[in-house]
Amino acid sequence: MSLVRGSSWVARVGLAGVFLFAGLIKVGEPARFATDIANYHLLPWSLGVGLAFYLPWLEITSALALFWRKATKGSAILIALSVTVFIVATILARVRGIDLSCGCFGHAGRNLSFAGHLALDFLLLGLALFLLWLPEPATDR
Amino acid sequence: MPQPLRAAFLVLMLALLPAAGEAIYFRQQVSWKQRPKADEVDVRTAQEWQALWLDARPGEDFQREHAPGAMPLNAENWDELLPDVLKAWTPGRKLIVYCSAQSCDASREVARRLREEAGLKDVFVLTGGWEAWKTEHR
Repeated sequence: MSLVRGSSWVARVGLAGVFLFAGLIKVGEPARFATDIANYHLLPWSLGVGLAFYLPWLEITSALALFWRKATKGSAILIALSVTVFIVATILARVRGIDLSCGCFGHAGRNLSFAGHLALDFLLLGLALFLLWLPEPATDR
Repeated sequence: MPQPLRAAFLVLMLALLPAAGEAIYFRQQVSWKQRPKADEVDVRTAQEWQALWLDARPGEDFQREHAPGAMPLNAENWDELLPDVLKAWTPGRKLIVYCSAQSCDASREVARRLREEAGLKDVFVLTGGWEAWKTEHR
């Protein structure tokens, strides 16, 4: 296995693991996740409820699609976009003095600090961008 | 459209299917119109508390089935039922009131009366009511 293919595999497993966990832990808890989204004070409640139903499944689907060779880069695009949106929302909330739990990992993430969240997000963003940057054959297998 | 974007679009669409199913399944538990009030609590959080559970549904519904350890307290038999509730309650213990579903209002009314008439403070309404409880315990 070449270095490029090996690193592609590691990046996909890492991203998929985090996104699968993040999605599965929120599925079945729409009320709690909708409240977490509302705590950002960025969206109307009804839109937040819609996202509370949709985002966990998008995370799960994106995670699984990383291992479908035709969808790896498409999935990496979605993961990069969603992590970017989350980073911006988190920083905006912080700037406005809103002390919140992001809700990304349900109860499991409530003890993660602001800096810890951002560090994890930038790591995930880096992995997604790495997959996008890789030449096509490396993500084909 | 470039292939990665087509794939991304497909993933976006695929995620819609289970999300729509979940939205239908939980339709009674989550209000799309307004955020739960501060005194509402979801089933999982409520179960983490050592709270006293109160069933605000009609007596026959309570007799048929109710949350383990729950006590009946409804508007119809308020005067008869309240003394037993106050006897079972200890200071500092939270109270969780539920009625049949998200759309019912009996739990809010009981919670309001507990605060205003009985002077209790930590009174919460279960989001989604008994239906949410049952869904969680299927």
